[in-house]
Amino acid sequence: MSTPGTLRQLLLERRVIVCCGAGGVGKTTTAAALGVAGARLGRRVLVLTIDPARRLAQALGIRENGPAPAPLAADLLAAVGVTPPGELHAWMLNPRVVFENLVARLSPNPEVARRVVSTALFGHLTRLVAGMQEYTAAEALFELSQSGKYDLIILDTPPSRNALDFLEAPGRLSRFLDERILMLFLPERPRFILLRKAAQRVSDVLGRVFGDAFFREMQDFLQVAKGLFAPMRQHADDVRRLLASQEATFLLITTSEAAALNEARFFRAKLQTLKLPFSGFVLNRSWAVSAQAAATWEVPLDAPAALKSALEKLDNLATTERAWAQRDRAFLQELQAELAPGALAAAAPYLVESLDEVKGLGQLAVALVGGA
Amino acid sequence: MGNLLGRRMLLVTGKGGVGKTTVAAALVLAAAADRRRVLCAEVWGDTGGAPHDTPLMRALGAARVSDVPSEVLPGVHGVLLTPTQGHKQFLHQVLPRLLVDAALHAPAIRRFLAAAPAIPEMGLMYQLLDLLRRQDREGRRMYDLCVVDAPATGHALALAQIPAMLLEVIPHGRIGATAREGLGVLTDPASTGAVVVTLPEALPVSETLELCRGLADHRIPLGAVIANRIPEDPLNPSQRAALEGFLKGRSGPGTRLLARAEAAGAALRGLSTLAVPVARVNEEAAVGAALARRVQSALAVQGVLA
Repeated sequence: MSTPGTLRQLLLERRVIVCCGAGGVGKTTTAAALGVAGARLGRRVLVLTIDPARRLAQALGIRENGPAPAPLAADLLAAVGVTPPGELHAWMLNPRVVFENLVARLSPNPEVARRVVSTALFGHLTRLVAGMQEYTAAEALFELSQSGKYDLIILDTPPSRNALDFLEAPGRLSRFLDERILMLFLPERPRFILLRKAAQRVSDVLGRVFGDAFFREMQDFLQVAKGLFAPMRQHADDVRRLLASQEATFLLITTSEAAALNEARFFRAKLQTLKLPFSGFVLNRSWAVSAQAAATWEVPLDAPAALKSALEKLDNLATTERAWAQRDRAFLQELQAELAPGALAAAAPYLVESLDEVKGLGQLAVALVGGA
Repeated sequence: MGNLLGRRMLLVTGKGGVGKTTVAAALVLAAAADRRRVLCAEVWGDTGGAPHDTPLMRALGAARVSDVPSEVLPGVHGVLLTPTQGHKQFLHQVLPRLLVDAALHAPAIRRFLAAAPAIPEMGLMYQLLDLLRRQDREGRRMYDLCVVDAPATGHALALAQIPAMLLEVIPHGRIGATAREGLGVLTDPASTGAVVVTLPEALPVSETLELCRGLADHRIPLGAVIANRIPEDPLNPSQRAALEGFLKGRSGPGTRLLARAEAAGAALRGLSTLAVPVARVNEEAAVGAALARRVQSALAVQGVLA
């Protein structure tokens, strides 16, 4: 039912795989399992995730607020069958750390960097500015893809109701960072009288809204940070180019609920409009792969009443399993029929095994890509 | 738990995909059946005033909603909470009229406000407070209860965190004042209750425990915890013992679903450390408004609402 060959090919050939999808479809788990699968194929893989469930982070041995990607412990790697040259690294993205690194790299000297980072506003910026999480994810992706330490980076996009937020937020942010606009908020007086009037009006409005103290803080921040914005926009463009290249691809993680299908269609169309490479869908928690050959249990002749009735109940559950398998197979076919030739629709099985343990991730990796 | 429907505002939260919207719809239907004037609010992106076909409206079997409250079902009003509408209202309140027009007509300020620190969050907060305050001609509250389908972001605490965070960063000015008022409403158990929805699986349960701790840290009163989509476990203890002896770890037709039901039971036991009782909603084949009605009656039977 699944198409392990194709996912395998992606893991072997691409440098960046972006996992998108609505919240709750198992995106982080799938990204982690794909990371395991890639490392088992001998690649040096980094899984970048934002705010994963704590237990999943623990399963991967990810430290919260770690300063940089870290390799998985040897015993975890052994448990999922990753051997050299395969490597698996993981990082729970910390927007603040990413942003600090960015400021350090782009500042003309360490003194400027120190001043930007020590403004009161900076401490809250990554939490307060809309789209900052998405922007830092893109920024981290760019920086780490340049580092030469990883063959493949798998990015688990920030959770949102809308799978498209990741694509659109950096654009919104770079519009905010347009210096011509930010100039109006700076305390120095523009040279042209018209602009000076506009600036005065802006500071009247914002002073009242934010309170003068915060508004001055914001001006301090913009004053020291203003030289960084042009390079940041440049980076946003570079990330965009990387994501649009054949080195990258987007996978949409979805489930077989009707809403997910609509979102999948919408997402595919959007990627086409944006000219971003789309490889296909991973249909999560699918029963499509679980068809059983035997339909019913044979009741032993000497079975006690409790066992007889228990087996009857089990047969009822089996009937439900078959119905769900049929439903999910039909759904997978529907997805495949809609896809461009060459795109994949892979089914990840519903696993009872706990996915918050690294073993569960190993099983999911095998189910997705094959190999024992 | 208790007296959920008697509060002013219910924040329905939980990780994406747990059926949060369905539970919000069930609460709305229950409040309407109880003859309360109920407003259901969804946090929406910044797509402006056009009416939208939203997840909550679909779950209610209702028509489209916009950022202006409208009656979507008899006795039920719906509204989209959008940052734009929120900060527009906020600016109108804070600034002299002339400045507001200038502000909202200047592209620079419009663009700045759309991305500036704290403004979108502030807009949502302000809009919500404004709706709660509204009165009709006789001076009665327009809405007895506001049910908010909160966004499914990381910790699902996003909306609840807004006022405290705003106060920390911007203690002065009108934002500070609005944040303080919002915090007062949010932390008063007579006004607000968080309704946390979860699934009977290991990961969602551990996230729910985290979320409940986070709510406690922010002093947001926990109204109810609802475990949704609980699969039926068909076996009684003697059947289970007999079956275990027979299967001896073998798998076959039906065993995966059985293991799923058993895993659900184990996950639910993990919720027993919570201070509030956990309401249970069984897995249902129904969809849309029919599903919301099933959930509504499940909650009513367990005395969660009264």
